[in-house]
Amino acid sequence: MGLFKRLYDWIDLRIGAREIVKKELTGYLLPRNINEWYSLGSVLLVIFALQVLTGMLLMVYYVPDAEKAFKSVTFIMNDLPYGWLIRLCHAVGSNMMVAVLLLHMLSTLTMGSFKKPRELNWVTGFILFTLVQGISLTGYLLPWSQLSFWATTVATNSAAAIPVVGPYLVEFLRGGKLVGPPTLGRFFAMHVAVIPVIIAATIGAHLFLLKRTGISTPPFGPQEASPPAPASSYHYESHPGGIPFFPNYALQDLTSICVYFAVFLAVVFYAPNLLFTPDAFVPANPFQTPAHIKPEWYFLANYQTLKIFPSELLGLSVQAAAMTFLALLPFVDRSPQRNPLKRPLFLACTIGGILLWIGLTIWGHFS
Amino acid sequence: MTELSQLRRPSLRVALGALALATLAAFAAPRPALAAEQPETVCIQCHGSLPDKLGAPVKLWRTSIHAENGISCNACHGGDPKDAADAMNRSRGFLGAPKETDIPAFCGRCHPGVLKDYLASAHGKRLGQGGPTCFTCHSNHAIQKASLTLINEKSCTRCHSFERARAIRDAMLQTEGYIVNIDARIKGFQAQGVDTDRLGKGLFATRNRFHTLFHDVNVTRVKAESTQINVELAKLDQDLKVIEEARAKRKTVGAFVIAGALLLAGLFHLMKKTFD
Amino acid sequence: MENDGRRKFLGVCLAGATAAAAAAAAYPVFRYLAPRSDALGAKKLEFAVSDLPEGEAKFFEYAGSSAVLVKTSAGAVVALSAVCTHLGCIVQWEKDKQDFLCPCHGGRYSPDGAVTAGPPPRPLAKIPFTVENGKITVG
Repeated sequence: MGLFKRLYDWIDLRIGAREIVKKELTGYLLPRNINEWYSLGSVLLVIFALQVLTGMLLMVYYVPDAEKAFKSVTFIMNDLPYGWLIRLCHAVGSNMMVAVLLLHMLSTLTMGSFKKPRELNWVTGFILFTLVQGISLTGYLLPWSQLSFWATTVATNSAAAIPVVGPYLVEFLRGGKLVGPPTLGRFFAMHVAVIPVIIAATIGAHLFLLKRTGISTPPFGPQEASPPAPASSYHYESHPGGIPFFPNYALQDLTSICVYFAVFLAVVFYAPNLLFTPDAFVPANPFQTPAHIKPEWYFLANYQTLKIFPSELLGLSVQAAAMTFLALLPFVDRSPQRNPLKRPLFLACTIGGILLWIGLTIWGHFS
Repeated sequence: MTELSQLRRPSLRVALGALALATLAAFAAPRPALAAEQPETVCIQCHGSLPDKLGAPVKLWRTSIHAENGISCNACHGGDPKDAADAMNRSRGFLGAPKETDIPAFCGRCHPGVLKDYLASAHGKRLGQGGPTCFTCHSNHAIQKASLTLINEKSCTRCHSFERARAIRDAMLQTEGYIVNIDARIKGFQAQGVDTDRLGKGLFATRNRFHTLFHDVNVTRVKAESTQINVELAKLDQDLKVIEEARAKRKTVGAFVIAGALLLAGLFHLMKKTFD
Repeated sequence: MENDGRRKFLGVCLAGATAAAAAAAAYPVFRYLAPRSDALGAKKLEFAVSDLPEGEAKFFEYAGSSAVLVKTSAGAVVALSAVCTHLGCIVQWEKDKQDFLCPCHGGRYSPDGAVTAGPPPRPLAKIPFTVENGKITVG
């Protein structure tokens, strides 16, 4: 232990590590009534890190060429030691990322953490949500299976409904009139370089905003007797007398991460086929559309919405309106009240919206 | 309400519009594929919309194993599958519908082994004299993947008693069951990402050899060759068992790993409680 | 404080469990990335004697690196590694001089791999082979 202390002193002399630790870790105080939902953010960070790691490992053997892509993935799954594990971690991880993200959005929504002064946090979070959808979509094409090929065809087709620029946009996305080798090239670049970098930068912004504003207090319990008066100048929301982030809440973060891993690994080892249809293991055939091609579960609600509306443009516009409304929620719902039980209209809309989304998803699965 | 009146501000409206467009573009929502993306032969395109007798084969064909494997009308009937004008032109190879005695040769163009066995068999020797053709048992457009159910009382007793058909079916029952079992396991593995190419091809070849056997309608021959076929099937069975064992091992390791994660979660939780 | 004892115990348990988890995660990653030797190991290669004219050399890949078969003008067959022992370049066969020349720094080897000139420190490694029924089996 003497060695560690000497090393710590050496670093502290040069960068003031002790001061940083006091400010960011042991002295960083969180509200006493903080709950487990607040740890979902760090779970998401870990999921992202794991996706990057498994993604990089896959890149060692994956070949982004239409002729070789499927074979390289088959090689990874069958002939490489633990290749199946890396690939399944990456595929299951992407679905978990969306699921945990939805839970994280739900908790911030319910506890009103998107309200003033945290509107930018919500907006950057929403941008992350869109980016995660984008990275999932681009990643889906890379194995070049029947499922990849046709799901991408269906997904990129929807842009054609946009007036004026629609058809050109579709061609631009695909790098040609139909999905083909040019599509693989640009989707690969987007998936492994462009979008991850933007996600990392947006996470940086999201965390900066979080630290700068100060963590919100859960709106439950005695503290929420009266909503705080809106400030007219910047102030950091501190929690004097609160619990320190390190080691107290850091341990909660770690607990949540381990629980996540238990669930994640249970799917990887026992139910990987939850996410793969047999078409995912048949090489892409541009001349044969398989029956019943469906998008991933998190896109089923959108898929079903488009099927409901007779006009594609109308279907797309309805969804765009819904997404825009959600993105700009902090600017629409401006009341300072954060306790969901005291916001009946908001609660009704949220529960209604969630039920609608679940209903559309289930309908989309069976239709 | 002050919030809604904010919408009158031009800057907010521009921002809303830009965000809407950006969301539209970035938001990928799927919809059913266009039919034009899937090229169909001109035969299907035309006959698919014709009524009664002229259009019925298309519906039947769509349920067939030929359709499942991309084999369209021109593969059997000839003609040009891409040019509607020449689709039924005899000088472009169009053969029309075959006469009864021409049926075996018609199907035998792609299934020559079966044709050979059939012509040498008791069935084949009665071609044109009341004996069965391929069509009799397999139908012509709604052809299904061959299985032992084709040998059934209703079908075979059209011409003779079921006794001999039963004999040959019983001789093939065990091997067919083995094949069906291996096929199911291969399909199961394929849906899990296992590279079943070699196994699948091996089974396909063995299965075809076995099914072709029937057309000789010779019970002795079936019994003799079944032994050899069973040996080949046993090899495939062994390969599948190896994969199954590896899978079972993965599950056991998985159980330990998940237990480990839960243990870690518990320890972290207990540690946290010491600080509360 | 009772808590301190508990904390120490849990700390030790956690340290052990985390170390085990880290090892369990690192092992598959290591195996996944490690170069594979089984597929390239002792795969035997066959050549027909008639494929190898006198005074000529045949280059091929064996056990993951370059190798060469030579039939000397005396009629003897030799199988050698074609990797120069100096700095690893691949040697060339000179038909007119009937020897090996390394293009990188001018090392020379006799047809049976011995160094005749230049910087190479050791002769070319010999590869085991057998000749039977007009077939050369390397490996």
